[in-house]
Amino acid sequence: MLTDMTDNKQAALELGTKPVRLLLWQYALPAIVAMLASSLYNIIDRAMIGQIVGPEAIAGLGITFPFMNLSAAFGAAVGVGSSACISVKLGQQDYKVAENLLGNTVTLNLIIGFLFMVVSLIFLDPILRFFGASDATLPYAREFMIVILLGNMVTHMYFGMNAVLRAAGKPRHAMYATLFTVAMNIILVFAFVWWFRWGIRGAALATITSQSLALCWQLWIFSDKKELLHFKRGIYKLKKDLVKNIISIGISPFLMNATSCLIVIFMNNQFVHYGGDMAVGAYSIANSVVMVFFMFVMGVNQGMQPIVGYNYGAEKYDRMLRCLWLTIACATVFLLVGWTLSMLFPRQIARIFTTDPTLLDLSARGIKLDMLVFFVVGSQAAITHFFQSIGKVKVSIFLSLSRQLFLLLPMAFVFPLFWDLDGVWYSMPASDFGSFAMTIPMLLWYMKKFKNYGTEDNH
Amino acid sequence: MEQKIIINVGRQLGSGGHDIGRMLALDFNAKYYDREILNLAAKESGLSEKIFEENDEKRGFFRGLLNIGSPHVSGYKPDLSQETLFQFQSDAIRKAATKDSCVFVGRCADYVLRDFKNAVNIFVTASMPYRIEQIMNKQRMNRDQAKKFIEQKESRRAAYYNYYTGKKWGAAESYDLCVDSSVLGIVETEKLIAEFIRKKFAK
Repeated sequence: MLTDMTDNKQAALELGTKPVRLLLWQYALPAIVAMLASSLYNIIDRAMIGQIVGPEAIAGLGITFPFMNLSAAFGAAVGVGSSACISVKLGQQDYKVAENLLGNTVTLNLIIGFLFMVVSLIFLDPILRFFGASDATLPYAREFMIVILLGNMVTHMYFGMNAVLRAAGKPRHAMYATLFTVAMNIILVFAFVWWFRWGIRGAALATITSQSLALCWQLWIFSDKKELLHFKRGIYKLKKDLVKNIISIGISPFLMNATSCLIVIFMNNQFVHYGGDMAVGAYSIANSVVMVFFMFVMGVNQGMQPIVGYNYGAEKYDRMLRCLWLTIACATVFLLVGWTLSMLFPRQIARIFTTDPTLLDLSARGIKLDMLVFFVVGSQAAITHFFQSIGKVKVSIFLSLSRQLFLLLPMAFVFPLFWDLDGVWYSMPASDFGSFAMTIPMLLWYMKKFKNYGTEDNH
Repeated sequence: MEQKIIINVGRQLGSGGHDIGRMLALDFNAKYYDREILNLAAKESGLSEKIFEENDEKRGFFRGLLNIGSPHVSGYKPDLSQETLFQFQSDAIRKAATKDSCVFVGRCADYVLRDFKNAVNIFVTASMPYRIEQIMNKQRMNRDQAKKFIEQKESRRAAYYNYYTGKKWGAAESYDLCVDSSVLGIVETEKLIAEFIRKKFAK
């Protein structure tokens, strides 16, 4: 453990000395792999459902999207909170409390997972209606969500244990669990939906089954008595101050996630209102396409975070800015590729998800409009993340809220009054551009501060 | 006294804990660390002292967000979350404590050094009117401002301590000796504490 700690410290100190390019590569690669893997799974899931179950099914799936995200938001709140608390305790060699935190994480996940399941199942239909389901899409959404909700405790436990694995110094294991779930899911979706023709329910079952298998492996790891952190009697009883600490960390990620759920719910409703079920399906397809490219950007951003953070803290501003530029460049180049493909071949891309001519037309147009200025998103996201990395949390929250709450929401409300369905689509590139236009001056203003600081004391 | 000793001083705002700590350091020929801990932490981590100052003995509501992302290593997560900074800081405290006799003021040192057999934990309180008086003189504030200042800063300090240590800040059972400095005055209180420490280590 002790040599482990010095290694870790070495890794932290390297952030201030090793060439930025190498560091970014080293930190971003695993994040990109994990992100791309999950968006690949997302694509295959939807393509299967769209191709085999039908266009209404993909619209139904689009309706459930914010629902699943809301559940994930609860899971992430506990996961982020407990992993932060556990790594504090491990750092202080306070193993007893760390074990208690492990036990409390299990209990907390089970309780929240159970409550979310019960409440959602009882009010399933009204919730789905509120999320934008119609008579045609409701059965699909319901069928899918019942399976997902019945497995909700597994999902929460799986994400929670993955977070704890990371905190317990086993980030590799956490990564394997992620990749395993994705691979298993793809295999099972083929089996359940394509081969057995179990419909949309099959896709949900594939998700839950692969998570259950990964969870078994995670639980097996934590059952090993040789592990620093392992299951034992007496650690599961909730302790008020531990729970309070977990929540005090988890609350702000939760609020951010919950906000973006609300936005998607609102967007879905706008699409239903102005374009019917097929428009929701098209939005769901366009979203999948956007996500593939955007996940790459998120991966690079995650890799950037420690490098920028450390070098800011060490006042090595030139290294910090070099890392930011490199991130923006990588992200933008990649998005330009995505943008070119989407502008040239929107129909072919939409064809992956559906054969239905109406949905195909709507999706092709949707992809084009949604991604109209997609290439600016790279710098917007990188800069927002940059502010978070250097501890300017409030600026970063303001920037990401401004994109979603202050720009997208009003635009998606007003634009369709003039341009009907197209207006809902227009609101997305418009808010992309608007938030891009806001982040740039913000960054320039901060850069001036760094420059002044650099000349004041040269060290 | 040949033996190395560690004195951890917890203190209420305006109780004179800072000055008492300084006098104890002189008495026992120990190194004195109050805000100096931040400097140690900066050296330990390669980060600037400013970062540690900004996050000194407080927690922020939205700063939980800094824990998202992918921690690739345990112990030292490479981010600027307050949890990571605390880790650097407490390692610096431990390192200093193994080298010399030290007096640490605040920063959860009693918890960080809980496995050090040669440590003694003191908590200094004082009556509210006394503390308000002290703060009014030190910070040039009027009575209301001083009262508010104490309440705000102390609730932050308590939240910080409780979060990292899992104990309750200022709860008597955490310390070897709790003493109200407004009863005897700072100089006499320090003598009393020094006497207590001498007796503890004479055993």
